[in-house]
Amino acid sequence: MVKKKRSFSEPEFATLAEPVATEEAMPESSLRANLEEIKTSDGVIGYILRNSSSAAIDLKDPTKIIDYAILSSSALDSSVELSELFDLGDVKNIVVEGKDAKVLSLMVGENKISVFLEKGADCEKILRKLH
Amino acid sequence: MDNEVYTFAVKNTLNEIRNICPEITGTFMFREDGEIIAGDNTTSEKIMVRVVDSLDSIFEKSDAIGEVDCITFEGGKGRLKIFRVNDAYLVTASSEKADMKYVDTVTHVLVPTILKLLEKICSTPLQNSSQKEIEPKFDMDEEMNKPSEELIKETAMKKLEEDAEPEMESEIKPEASLPELPVNQLIVENLGGLLVPSDTVRIDNEILTQWANLYEDSKIEEVEIGTFDGKTTRCKVKPIKDSKYEGKGIIQMPEKVQLALEIKKGELVRASPIIGGGG
Repeated sequence: MVKKKRSFSEPEFATLAEPVATEEAMPESSLRANLEEIKTSDGVIGYILRNSSSAAIDLKDPTKIIDYAILSSSALDSSVELSELFDLGDVKNIVVEGKDAKVLSLMVGENKISVFLEKGADCEKILRKLH
Repeated sequence: MDNEVYTFAVKNTLNEIRNICPEITGTFMFREDGEIIAGDNTTSEKIMVRVVDSLDSIFEKSDAIGEVDCITFEGGKGRLKIFRVNDAYLVTASSEKADMKYVDTVTHVLVPTILKLLEKICSTPLQNSSQKEIEPKFDMDEEMNKPSEELIKETAMKKLEEDAEPEMESEIKPEASLPELPVNQLIVENLGGLLVPSDTVRIDNEILTQWANLYEDSKIEEVEIGTFDGKTTRCKVKPIKDSKYEGKGIIQMPEKVQLALEIKKGELVRASPIIGGGG
């Protein structure tokens, strides 16, 4: 696989590079600010923001950090596989609703975000703020 | 046997859902323990197993939010929704063009209704494989009813006199009056068209032949249809013409009959032949 990439001609690299640049529309700092604002909204329990170099976790109940982190990671991993199985295209978001609470997970560029909400909270509102 | 009927009914329901909403690209159901109940005709078992495996990791780690009720996945080209129905989960994949409100309405109403209905049916003895069950009954009934054989003969004779069919008088087999009427559970399918009589239903020719074989000299021209709410009606019966409905346990029913029974397409009914009507 690596060898094949090396064999790409220069123009091909140029065309590939462009969309990657546009995906970085929302920098991490801006995302974090958004998440801080979201956290003050009604029904929001907390959030996890992580990328390859850092992670930020803010939850009302710190004892559940590990449980929430594992769940959000599983949800995002599963979403990639599910998308492949049903040919659903790029992952936009995944919402897992439980009996007590729900989690909204999405990827913005390299950043993986999970927002934890109370059962009745509005996911759409949160999504609009993050895009 | 119960499981087979259950799976069959669920599979048909899922196929019907796909017919109603062509934007649904795949749908299936599985139990909490991961056992696949049934899927529509286009979703392969391999995919179903992989989806269940993939979801398993979420279910396993969902303690923090409580038992999973619903999972909604949104992709660039479509959506996947998994929602809980009693002790099972329904998975529905749909294209981006799908009207999710419509899809949700159909799946959230149709599937739980069918499952409720199936639970009711499965809790009562199923008589779907009527032929197999009835055949051994002949001997048992014969033995048990030996003392009342004369009584049965008498009633049979009375009936025959009333019907005044001299040809049938000659051979009255006590066996023929003894077996219980076979009852088949069938799924309602619409029957429409300009030349369709409103008092005639259509049933698989195979079932009609089975019934006819049970009652050698009788021609099955009428059936009694009963709903699980206790409503019954009598209708004329003819074999299904459309080959796509053959062998699927379907009863094609005109709207008028559906209204009389207060049922709709996709619901289950019981059908039994009316013997000796003859015309």
